[in-house]
Amino acid sequence: MAEFNIQSDSVDVTKIMGEIRQRIREKRGTDYTEQQIHELANVKLEQFLDPRQVRSDLVEHYRNLDPLDPIPDSGPGTDPIPEAVKFDEETIYVSSRGLMGTLIRLIRRLLNPILRLFFNPDPIIFAMSRQAEINIKTLELLRRQTEQMEQIGKKFAAREALDTLNYEVLNNLVVEMTRLAVDMKNHKMQVESVAGRLDFDERRAKALETVVQNRSAAQDGPSNTAETPGTAPASNRSRRRRRRPRRRAVPSTQTPETTASGRSASPQNAGKKPETADSQSLRAQAITDSAKAASTSREPTEPRAAESSLVTPSSQNVVDPGVAPPEARDTDDQ
Amino acid sequence: MKLAVVVQRYGADLNGGAELHARYIAERLAKHVEVEVLTTCAEDYISWHNQFEPGVEQINGVPVRRFPVSRERNVEDFGRRSIQIFEHKHSLAAELAWLRSEGPTSPKLINHLRRHNQTYDYCLFFSYRYYHSYHGIRATSPKAILVPTAERDPALGLRIFRDSFRSVRALMYNSPEEQTLIQAVSDNGDVPCVVVGVGSEIKANPEPERFRQTSGIKGPVMIYIGRIDKNKGCGELFDYFQRYSRLSPNLTLVLIGKTVIPIPDHPKIRHLGFVTDQQKFDALAASDLLVMPSYYESLSMVTLEAWALGRPVLANGRCDVLCGQSIRSNAGLYYENYEEFAETLQAILLNRTLQKTLGQNGQAYFGKHYSWPVIERKYLDVLDLLDRETTGPPRKLQPLPGWFGRHRADLPPSRSVVEGLPSGPVLPSPTSASSQPWVGFS
Repeated sequence: MAEFNIQSDSVDVTKIMGEIRQRIREKRGTDYTEQQIHELANVKLEQFLDPRQVRSDLVEHYRNLDPLDPIPDSGPGTDPIPEAVKFDEETIYVSSRGLMGTLIRLIRRLLNPILRLFFNPDPIIFAMSRQAEINIKTLELLRRQTEQMEQIGKKFAAREALDTLNYEVLNNLVVEMTRLAVDMKNHKMQVESVAGRLDFDERRAKALETVVQNRSAAQDGPSNTAETPGTAPASNRSRRRRRRPRRRAVPSTQTPETTASGRSASPQNAGKKPETADSQSLRAQAITDSAKAASTSREPTEPRAAESSLVTPSSQNVVDPGVAPPEARDTDDQ
Repeated sequence: MKLAVVVQRYGADLNGGAELHARYIAERLAKHVEVEVLTTCAEDYISWHNQFEPGVEQINGVPVRRFPVSRERNVEDFGRRSIQIFEHKHSLAAELAWLRSEGPTSPKLINHLRRHNQTYDYCLFFSYRYYHSYHGIRATSPKAILVPTAERDPALGLRIFRDSFRSVRALMYNSPEEQTLIQAVSDNGDVPCVVVGVGSEIKANPEPERFRQTSGIKGPVMIYIGRIDKNKGCGELFDYFQRYSRLSPNLTLVLIGKTVIPIPDHPKIRHLGFVTDQQKFDALAASDLLVMPSYYESLSMVTLEAWALGRPVLANGRCDVLCGQSIRSNAGLYYENYEEFAETLQAILLNRTLQKTLGQNGQAYFGKHYSWPVIERKYLDVLDLLDRETTGPPRKLQPLPGWFGRHRADLPPSRSVVEGLPSGPVLPSPTSASSQPWVGFS
């Protein structure tokens, strides 16, 4: 709490109260008017319910919804409430006979002391007038409660309409969620398909390399043949170990540039420690196993038309299964 | 000079505001002039049951003459008549009947004033709204001085009292707000008047430590002294305090006085009941501030006592008198809602400089305006000036209208009359009455 600047010899209570009230106003924040609050609420509603995303006329529906729409009333309960009878101390003397009535009233007033000899009308008059007031207040209360009931009925009707709209919003959300779930499933299947094709290509490349090596070994003689089986497969394996993790990440994260160079240029990877040969080999083995499992259930060389049509822009960077990746081609050229 | 002090009840043990006020004044003025107190035998202000013996007795050296009340108050009848005249159009006869119903109806007291009119030089009436004042003023009009002790309640709007305010020789107001209110309702600007108030019997050397030890209360204390009643704003005080206590649980609310409403079961609300004056002043001296939540006050003597002891006051800002006193004295803060209650309370409790300065201002204000020498001087000056004024024309008392006039129901509901009166504190101005003892005295 901020301190007041109080000098020991002078205090101005009015000024202090002014400061305190100012502080209370500041604590409360800006005093929005009712209209401003409504405007803010409308802005938020529009931001939340974007008609382009959810439903073109949903916001309009909300706006046009009148929560105080009258609801049809069943007749018997709406009989007019009878007017209360007014009763005051003059009522018992009053006559309704015009001029004669005035005279009668005067006579009654004059005879009032005689009447009082028989009984005291004051408590009766007071009780009656109080009762009349109670009746008026009761009727007023009844009227107010009837109005409140009508308001509640109208609110119920408005709530029903709001529920319909809420159902629509919910329905839209569920539809969108289902669509996203289907998309996700398709993407999963596409990734599996790509992995299968990749594995097939690798095995094909390995087979081709073996054939080439066998041929050259046969041409070079038996001395070279003895060391070739031990060295060539090992170098191929190490190349694969380096390549596989990068290829695995291509469909979701790699850009065309990184795919072409075979090296991740993303800032996330920039700061990371390079993977060891053991971890790379373990991961490559796991990917290979999963790709093998996928390839057993599907022909990798002929991807289905539906799958190819679901390729996302990012997945279009994936290399064509029928063509060897640039890095692999470079390696092969070497 | 012989002065009659006329009051509805009188006794050494009576603690009602106007009654205590009357006793203090009577005892103080008795040092300077001959004083006789004229009162009823009643002790209870609701039933006016004759508790004391009629006749003369001495209380603290002042002769007190008691007269019996002829009929006790019928609460039901009084309530019925109150509604009739407060809420509806009514007649002068209805107002007079209401006055009889309110009491204390003591025709013997009025007859005594009528018969011994010449015995007294002046008659000092306390509380305008009772039977003894209205009829006593009519019996002794040229010698009547009224201490109205008026609040903003519906009775102030009754026509019968307008004549009382106009026909007395002088008026002794408790506050400028009361003066404004009465002048607005009765248009009695030509009647001599002065804002006096009353002093208080401040116990010398109160011992706050004694209170702390006996009560076992530690930490900051806010004290309320008075009747614990909804009409005194105590319901609102309890609500506000409990809310505040959640934020600042160290503060203790100490209540002193008779309770009419249930007190919340809260560990930081301590009700000490009715205590002796010494205990009261010990508690007041031990407290950090006095809270006065009442909506309507003529003059809060407890507030003055707190100021006399150098304690700041937190008052209800909707009470014009308390708000005005706080502003004029610069010795208290006031609130009109919970936020203001919390902030002002926080300011007084946390800012020791503010607390101390408010207390010092209160002490200075009390010393300047409400110390006994000042009060006594003002009363004596009034009596002196009235003595000199006797050359002027005596004020004529308006006679009551005839039977038909009295029974014509053409008077507006008194509540609506009071609602139309000006409100708000009277703020100090360079030309205010603080420097001149007489206001409206020609």
